[in-house]
Amino acid sequence: MEQLQNKVAELLEKGTISLMIGFQTGLCNDPVPCFIESASQISQLIYNSHCKHNLAVYLHKPEVKQAKKVGIFGNIATLRSILQLLSENQLWDLELTIITINASQELIVFDSIASVEQYIQTNFPELTDEEKELIEKINAMSRQERWTYWKDLFSTCIKCYACRAVCPMCYCTQCTVECNQPQWIKVSSETSGNFEWHTMRAMHLAGRCINCGECGRICPVGIPVHLLTAKMNLDIKKEFGARSGISSSNGYALNTFNPNDKDGFIK
Amino acid sequence: METKLLKSSDVPTLFDNLIKSGKVIIAPVTRQSGKVFFERVYSYDQVEKDYIQTQFSAKSVVFPKVEELFAFRKTDDGVDIKDTLSSIPETVVWGIRPCDSSAFNYISEFFLRENPDAYFAKRKELTTLIAIGCAKSDDACFCTSVDLNPGSTAGSDILLTQMGDSFYVEVVTEKGNSIVSESASLFTATPEKSKDNYLAKPTTKFSVDEIAKKIKTAYNNTQWKHESMGCYSCGACAFACPTCTCFDIQDEGNSEEGVRKRCWDACGLSLFTKHNSGHNPRKNQTERRRQRLMHKFKYSVENLGIISCVGCGRCIRVCPAHLNIFENILNVTKED
Repeated sequence: MEQLQNKVAELLEKGTISLMIGFQTGLCNDPVPCFIESASQISQLIYNSHCKHNLAVYLHKPEVKQAKKVGIFGNIATLRSILQLLSENQLWDLELTIITINASQELIVFDSIASVEQYIQTNFPELTDEEKELIEKINAMSRQERWTYWKDLFSTCIKCYACRAVCPMCYCTQCTVECNQPQWIKVSSETSGNFEWHTMRAMHLAGRCINCGECGRICPVGIPVHLLTAKMNLDIKKEFGARSGISSSNGYALNTFNPNDKDGFIK
Repeated sequence: METKLLKSSDVPTLFDNLIKSGKVIIAPVTRQSGKVFFERVYSYDQVEKDYIQTQFSAKSVVFPKVEELFAFRKTDDGVDIKDTLSSIPETVVWGIRPCDSSAFNYISEFFLRENPDAYFAKRKELTTLIAIGCAKSDDACFCTSVDLNPGSTAGSDILLTQMGDSFYVEVVTEKGNSIVSESASLFTATPEKSKDNYLAKPTTKFSVDEIAKKIKTAYNNTQWKHESMGCYSCGACAFACPTCTCFDIQDEGNSEEGVRKRCWDACGLSLFTKHNSGHNPRKNQTERRRQRLMHKFKYSVENLGIISCVGCGRCIRVCPAHLNIFENILNVTKED
């Protein structure tokens, strides 16, 4: 911890960064995101295995863009999001300094994006057992059962759009649900419109989602919405062999053409 | 105020009587996700007894997340309007917390003081609140900082406080009295007692008078930016909040038939203030977060004479970034 705080203090002092996005302790010892702009705030910075938030979402924030020279603490989810965002040409206006602490508790300040890619190669996260189990359970359902399963869950959605807000890949300046000429998806929260919203979001994230699970973790009504995109990713891996958030240069599966792509779906 | 005792073992009977009365009963229920929500129940078995706070408030009983105001249909000789007011049912909310009950006082002022809202008025008139005082609190609770406490009777029709194997019953209003009279044999008269030993003691985070004074000049405090940095710009806090009343009117349908709906909205969502021209008077999250907090502690005091935060702590619990409203308020009211 001290090592991390000293390093960030040094980076701030040298002017390498003007803002650090990391973690601090919140209520009930729950880590929460924090924003360090001066040495006086350094002591707030913490890191432990509970620091799960995907901080990359903040890289879209105008206040963060203004800071320009930004340091960010990269847990695996954040690192993968950064790679994916780079491949989608979204971070060109920031000078990023990426820091992490590896499994042996060593502090790493990445010297290049290539070294982030290398780090991800050796630390690629798999789905948790719980996620795998749920996906298998849903796979095993009949179409009708699956429809009912999701319908029941989506009927409780309140359309607070927290799933969209915490997602680093949901960066559209105008989301489909905000279009009202025409109104593609109803504003009111009711089952069919909620279904449309979550289906639309899952389709937009197919092969781009980096499986951080943040949208499911924070859903105030407890819908495991992250399973939709996690399942999409499994399908994309199977069909195209592509994985998101491992390279800063590749486009994502549905946005690139490869003559060797399987085209069995064209009939 | 009349006070009575009710044996814990008689609570299921009281509950059965409520259900038999034909009223809609709303009570805390644990969903599969493990979170507790107010839902319609049909038996006492469904009711969750061990909870600190429900995920969302009970405001949806009087201010539903989506409320059909009317439906219309073109006919050969005019337009048929289907009025929805007459279908509002008589409702009892069971197990609401005292903070939530007191929030009903605020939203009633909001909807009824000027140009009373017919839909809200009808729902409010037909709703009875049976509150249960809090035996437990958590780090997010701060009702005692906003002049309330786990045994406040404000807004409730009946307040129950568990004391050993009985409930101490405070019959606050005439509506509460009629519920008690319908099951009169279950209640025994008792003199007024002190509930203090049976109630939670959440820590007091600030003096509300001091905050109300200091926040008057907090608008330009430079701390707002830092306090809002973590805000993701979703509507979770507003939708969970018992006093947030922002709404959006939507017409759904076509020129032949359709429905007008009132839907929850949130000042934290950028679309809330966005003009048709593309201009947004609250252009960033700092300004939107400031609006939400200033409304709770300043604007509602100026407009309605009431602080519109009841310290239930829901916004802290549901916030994806766990932004902490009482810390935010303390920090923006410090000297700049």
